[in-house]
Amino acid sequence: MKKVRFICTLLVAKMVLLATKIFRFTGSMISGKIAVMLQKDFVKYFTNVDFNKVIFVTGTNGKSTTTNLIAHTIEEAGKNVATNTEGANMMSGVASTLIKNSSLFGRFNKEFLILEIDERSLRNIYKVLPGKNLCISNLQKDQVQRNGDPDFIYKMFSDTINKDVTLFVNNEEPRSRALEDFAGKSIYFSMERNSKSFEKDDFYTVTLPCPKCNHKIEYEYYNIDNIGKFKCTNCDYESNDKPNVIITDIDYNEHTFKCGKDTYKVSYINPFYIYNYAVCIAVCKHFKIKFNDIQKGFSCFINPADRRETYKYKGKTIRYLRIKQENPETFQNALDTVARDNMDKAVFIGLYEIKDFPPAYTNTFYFFDCNFKGVVESNVEQFVSFSRTVCYDCANRMIYDGAPKDKLKIYNVEDDFDTIFETLDELETDNIYIITGMKPYKKIKAFFETKQ
Amino acid sequence: MSSEINLAWMYPDILNLHGERGNAQAFKHVADLLRIELNIDRIDDIEAKIDFEKYDILLFNCGELKVVPTMVKYLKPQLKKLKKYIKENKTIITTGTTSAFLGKKATRIDGKEIEGLGILDLEFKERELVIGDDIYFELDDGTEITGSQIQMVDVNINNEKPLGTVKYGYGNNGNEEEGCIKNNVIFTNCLGPVFVKNPWFAEKIIRQICELKGIEIQNNGELDYEIEKESLKATKEFIENKNNIIK
Repeated sequence: MKKVRFICTLLVAKMVLLATKIFRFTGSMISGKIAVMLQKDFVKYFTNVDFNKVIFVTGTNGKSTTTNLIAHTIEEAGKNVATNTEGANMMSGVASTLIKNSSLFGRFNKEFLILEIDERSLRNIYKVLPGKNLCISNLQKDQVQRNGDPDFIYKMFSDTINKDVTLFVNNEEPRSRALEDFAGKSIYFSMERNSKSFEKDDFYTVTLPCPKCNHKIEYEYYNIDNIGKFKCTNCDYESNDKPNVIITDIDYNEHTFKCGKDTYKVSYINPFYIYNYAVCIAVCKHFKIKFNDIQKGFSCFINPADRRETYKYKGKTIRYLRIKQENPETFQNALDTVARDNMDKAVFIGLYEIKDFPPAYTNTFYFFDCNFKGVVESNVEQFVSFSRTVCYDCANRMIYDGAPKDKLKIYNVEDDFDTIFETLDELETDNIYIITGMKPYKKIKAFFETKQ
Repeated sequence: MSSEINLAWMYPDILNLHGERGNAQAFKHVADLLRIELNIDRIDDIEAKIDFEKYDILLFNCGELKVVPTMVKYLKPQLKKLKKYIKENKTIITTGTTSAFLGKKATRIDGKEIEGLGILDLEFKERELVIGDDIYFELDDGTEITGSQIQMVDVNINNEKPLGTVKYGYGNNGNEEEGCIKNNVIFTNCLGPVFVKNPWFAEKIIRQICELKGIEIQNNGELDYEIEKESLKATKEFIENKNNIIK
């Protein structure tokens, strides 16, 4: 009976999918949303899905890029791949992907199913689609309004992961790596210390509790904020000395790195990307995809999820970096990018109230998870904090890390970019950085493209 | 009597959820403005024996509920000294779910119970649904505090005295009570760097300690809180313009 209902639901969903194509509706998930509304466990009834070739990608940061990279590389290696590249990473998005890639009777018609999965959705999706491969990029603080603390997500993951699952985890990220205890097999990906690795010796530097014994975790060095070679100060939990995949000989100028004996050349390169390449290589090797095919995929990879853009405006170079709000790691990464540029510069930061879902609120916690000192000490002619309400807290954070008040402008305005960027004309420097969350992106892009 | 204030920043790496290292920085910042010597010691080792005689403030920032049993395990053998510390009207500041270590018990979603030290008559119950929202409350003397709370527990303070009265937000459990205060043991649900956003709260605590210890405050002028006051004003405006709250 349920199968009959599934076929009927699938037909409706396929018609919806066709209609969205004909009428060019945006929104990739409409068919999936309707299907899941009509039949809650709709995803469960697709046939010909090889669970050994279902790859879930989840984690706090890097899900979209990692999913796109793995799907692209496996496809370039000549395999048939279905994926939710549009970032539709909840149950309805998974349903939409299956609707698009199946026959009228629900027979899945691709070899691999590679899915970005929202952390909170993993448990429910796994119940109807028990894929055997799970990649976790990292598990950090993020969207605290819905995720609470990282342990909240950790518990959801540990409830889901079981001995049928092969886990691909970052060897240098303590929280997600601890999920090894629940998996049947763990494959560790890693990056050796390199020219962009760093140490922290500031009095106010903090790490995290050991996921296994709650004592302090110490880092020998960091490759990214909160990700690096670690060890617990109490138990024997530490980065594995012999990870399965380790990236070495990283040359950021030449865009090359080695993995084993193979040298890879890539278009995008920074520590975040290196970890994405590492997990991709780990997955590809697991599926016996050879170096030449992996390299072929890396060579022509274009990341639709890249969050950096450059504009020209009245002779000035505007470097626009977007972050996920309430996400300290992406914010710190943007700050580090600015700090690494020692040329004179102006820095505009626009972090907004959080309006992802009701109630909107003014959380500014994550400013203090990040360090601004590197930026403050990197020849900044002017600091600007803009946005409604939280601009003052952001400005204060910069002051706490040493930004001189007389170099700081605060604009308590929303989207009034003529006012916010009026100071650009007065600046001596031609080197401008803007950091914002996703919300004002389209308006800022339009502002500079119009002015251009 | 010492002319300086000593703050023990308790387990900074373990109690590190919401950028609350800013609270340690805020106490230093405000003390500098008052021209008072304030020293901060990090207590990194959760097994450490605490020198209660030395400290005037024990700062326990917000951590995950799962670390509370470990805290209780290592603080329990020091309970007698901790009680003496509290009796001497010395200050303890604790934020968010960490505060369960001071209470009687915390009940997790799966029904498992975490036993606290029983210093305060508090009971915590883990929530299925996280509440993330602004909070705006007033202390007894009218001091206004704004911030945000990520509420993963409901808190019943039984017969203890609330720290403040909620003007907007969820507080302890959706009633008008926010936090708890007993002697100078302060618990608040207002998370993150609450003392950065509300330096007048840190100042109030520092002034009390100075009075207790007979420390002369060098700067008796009005402190420069221009940006923080603008933040308070903007946050209150934002709160006034919204009418949504999850109970």
